Amino acid sequence: MVKGSSSQQPKVTSLPLLVEIGTEEIPTTFLSQALQDLAALGQELLDECRLSYHEIRTVGTSRRLVLLVDGVQTQQSSLKQEIVGPPKSAAFDAAGLPTKAAQGFAKSQGVSVEQLTFKETPKGLYLVVNKHERGKSAKQVLASSLPGYLAKLTFAKAMRWNASQAKFARPIRWMAVLLGPQVLKIEFAGIVSGGVTWGHRFYKRKGKNPGQAVPLTNASTYITTMSKLGVLVDPDERRVLIQSQIATLATLGKGQIDPVHREELTEEAVWGVEYPHAILGTFHKEFLALPDRVLMSSMKEHQGFLSLVGKDGTLLPKFVAVTNTPWGNTTLITKGNERVLSARLKDAQYFLQEDENQPLHERVAALDGVMFHHKLGTMRQKVERIQDLTGWMAMTLGRDDLKDVCQRAALLSKADLTTGMVGEFPNLQGVMGEEYAGRNGERPEVSKAIGEHYLPRFPDDALPTSLPGMLLACADRVDSIASFFIVGMRPSGSEDPLGLRRAAYGLVRIMSETVFKLNVVDVFEQMIQILAKQGVGHGGPTTVTEVMEFIVERLRFYGRSTMGLRDDVMEAVTRVRSKDSADLGDLLSRMQALQVIVNQPDFEPLMIGFKRAHRIVEKESWQHVAVSPERFQHDAERQLFSLFNKVRQEVTDCVANQEYAGALQLLLTFKSAIDEFFSAVLVNDPDPLIRENRLSLLTAIDHLFLTIADFSCLQSAGAEMG
Amino acid sequence: MTFQEIILSLHEFWKSHDCILTQPYDTEKGAGTFNPATFLRAIGPEPWRAAYIEPCRRPTDGRYGENPNRLQHYFQYQVVLKPAPADSQDLYLQSLAHLGLDPFQHDIQFLQDDWESPTLGAWGLGWEVRLDGMEITQFTYFQEVGSLEMDPVTVELTYGLERIAMYLQDVDNVYDLQWTEGVRYGELYHESEVQWSIYNFETADINLLQTSFDRLEKECLQLLEHSRGLVLPAYDCCMKCSHFFNVLDARGAISVAQRTGYIGRVRNLARKCAKAYFDQRQNLGFPLLNMKEPIPASKVRKKR
Repeated sequence: MVKGSSSQQPKVTSLPLLVEIGTEEIPTTFLSQALQDLAALGQELLDECRLSYHEIRTVGTSRRLVLLVDGVQTQQSSLKQEIVGPPKSAAFDAAGLPTKAAQGFAKSQGVSVEQLTFKETPKGLYLVVNKHERGKSAKQVLASSLPGYLAKLTFAKAMRWNASQAKFARPIRWMAVLLGPQVLKIEFAGIVSGGVTWGHRFYKRKGKNPGQAVPLTNASTYITTMSKLGVLVDPDERRVLIQSQIATLATLGKGQIDPVHREELTEEAVWGVEYPHAILGTFHKEFLALPDRVLMSSMKEHQGFLSLVGKDGTLLPKFVAVTNTPWGNTTLITKGNERVLSARLKDAQYFLQEDENQPLHERVAALDGVMFHHKLGTMRQKVERIQDLTGWMAMTLGRDDLKDVCQRAALLSKADLTTGMVGEFPNLQGVMGEEYAGRNGERPEVSKAIGEHYLPRFPDDALPTSLPGMLLACADRVDSIASFFIVGMRPSGSEDPLGLRRAAYGLVRIMSETVFKLNVVDVFEQMIQILAKQGVGHGGPTTVTEVMEFIVERLRFYGRSTMGLRDDVMEAVTRVRSKDSADLGDLLSRMQALQVIVNQPDFEPLMIGFKRAHRIVEKESWQHVAVSPERFQHDAERQLFSLFNKVRQEVTDCVANQEYAGALQLLLTFKSAIDEFFSAVLVNDPDPLIRENRLSLLTAIDHLFLTIADFSCLQSAGAEMG
Repeated sequence: MTFQEIILSLHEFWKSHDCILTQPYDTEKGAGTFNPATFLRAIGPEPWRAAYIEPCRRPTDGRYGENPNRLQHYFQYQVVLKPAPADSQDLYLQSLAHLGLDPFQHDIQFLQDDWESPTLGAWGLGWEVRLDGMEITQFTYFQEVGSLEMDPVTVELTYGLERIAMYLQDVDNVYDLQWTEGVRYGELYHESEVQWSIYNFETADINLLQTSFDRLEKECLQLLEHSRGLVLPAYDCCMKCSHFFNVLDARGAISVAQRTGYIGRVRNLARKCAKAYFDQRQNLGFPLLNMKEPIPASKVRKKR
């Protein structure tokens, strides 16, 4: 047992701490996380060093990760520790001499036996040692602890670059560590820290040699010093500046920044530059004939340009780029960027022309050469399967009229993968399919379904709006999930290289948020038959069971994250899931209704009675037999049974009509009857016939409850929800 | 600055920074990385600094001489520095200034690029360097080559010469570049682009290519087994296999399913060559570790 206490030391003063890790350009997407991690590590470091401080913050750019701590105590607080050892009875023998236990304890604490004292505890007298560790200077403790903490910074992808074999996102080239005006010397990743920094790569200060190291005089002036060296280290400051610059340029360009990608591209720029300077460029009007999505992708994906739209929302032949230098030749820089974009757009034009030479339906055959997965054959085979499944889904829904549209859309759904444009811009899959289908004269419903079938692309993305789009989107996902499960490629742990979790989540959203109702078990069974026809694997009932567990797991994730559903409530509903209730939307409605009712005050008392009944039935593994009213001995039994008879049909009707709130309200009426039953009679009557009859009555009630949910899963109010 | 002056300028710059000006390798290849001066020399502990121009062939990028930016045959300027010096980026920027691209006039950005060559079993981290939005250089710290971990790490700079030249000469079409005064790039290479595009896309004998691939693969493996350890000829076979694969790909003779298989086969050869080369150098006692000139150890270990 270790007890620590910090003693008050009146003379302590405080100083700001600066740790600047100077690097070569770290990927922009790593930076926000890296700075959060650095702040957390800074806090751990100071706590471990027993140094108090006012405030920690981190700032940085792709060339520097910076920890700034305000008001760090310059002297570590002293530590008083009382360490409790063995009890006195074990520490000294009958003659009063120290035993091995006492000697061992003293040795382990680095003191002599004479230095040990006793302490009265509730368990008796114990040996203790009182240690007093004098506080060291902050400079000393920080210098010795800091490298260990910096080594804890990790990145999604890291590299080695020097003999130290240390790994970092990109090479570290310098470190500046200052406590107030004092330079702290540490070594990390083969780099020795100093009191100097480097400014913006392309900022020339008057009379100074650019690229030269600049001394830092005090940690407190770091941010202002850096701004004099052409670096805005604070990302918030850069963001504000970028926002105002791009707004000004948009006005100048008589438009506004396209809102769709504004935030994302602004954020990319915030981390990509040390000093932002936005420029306005133009491109030739002829390129406006390209589809908007192609124009926007050319600008965004390849160049990181923000596109401009007019008042009516149409694209203007203009763009805004955020450069890293206000000191360069803006005319030259703008011209260069315009030239690059123009070359890109010429390429896009070329692809569009080439692609149009071959309509989508003629491209389907080429999908023979596009692999879906080596264990599952080609995209052509996948297309055949989803064609089959969407057709079946339309028929099952009684929408024979849509079968043709669905199957046509399915046939063409992947054909755009063979186009040059999708080869160049993979994220335009579907979008180009819709575009080309329209140009090829396909029916509008077909084009739309092709365009919609990749939706939702990410968790809170839009869903398909047309029924063929929804069915195709579902079929595509059902095919991927079922086929990968059949060949044994299931997501495990955090690994999901095939994106099956995302696919299942999309499926859950489409099947529960949109209008059509299909039994998901039926759909997967149909899918497995289709796969079997193609000779893919031997899926059977077990595959469906496993797939359904996977789907339900995603359903619960969805319920938890978007509806705030309790885990026990979802468990209670999914436990009683059967093939007949495999409508995902229906499961969610049950969960929502149940969550409402469990929060009502009269629910908790009902649960006590119900759970008692359930436990008894479960313990006896009692099989339901008909209740014999003539064997009832007590009014409480009769009343419970008559209530059951009165309510049963109503509950069943409610469930059949998916009025779960109503059904649950009916169940609430059982409360007093169940309570009276248990207070009036003992189930374990000596007469086996009476006993069996009571068990049957409870079983009947238990079964009725189970038509909605397994209430025994519900945790009582106040208990922690897992 | 003409195309040939650009090459000379880079030669001059990197010569002054202790690089051996090695020469292009006389076998078809898709990138300067394939040249033994990069692929093999990156392996093992021996220091190495080299610069060279490399003609590269990417059959699928052919456009019959009709696209102003895409070529199936083009030039890279390749610099390899091992161990990677602490001032690699500064040296690179100085080389641009030497070309007349004043970094203080332009917007130069180092954008994340995770480089990987599945055929060479190689990967590294670095950037694509953009000059006013245009990618002009690949900058990579090798982490693995031939599936061997790099120790020390080699840094590779690959300049896209046509891109840089188009910028410097302010032309929009690669064929309009001045190779030297009075001689355009198009005059030297346009016909070649047309003929090779026809060959690569339409007439290359698929059977011949496939057979050649198979036989060279076999040859490579046999050479590696040879008692004298014929690693260098073996590696030539590996490069040739890679090139035949590229032509087959352009010819549309490789389905996506077969693709992975072919890449795996080339990688297998590259790995075996890399391992054999390492062993061979080790048996020789890594001779360049003791070499005095032209790579003075003091300069190699020079830090910022």
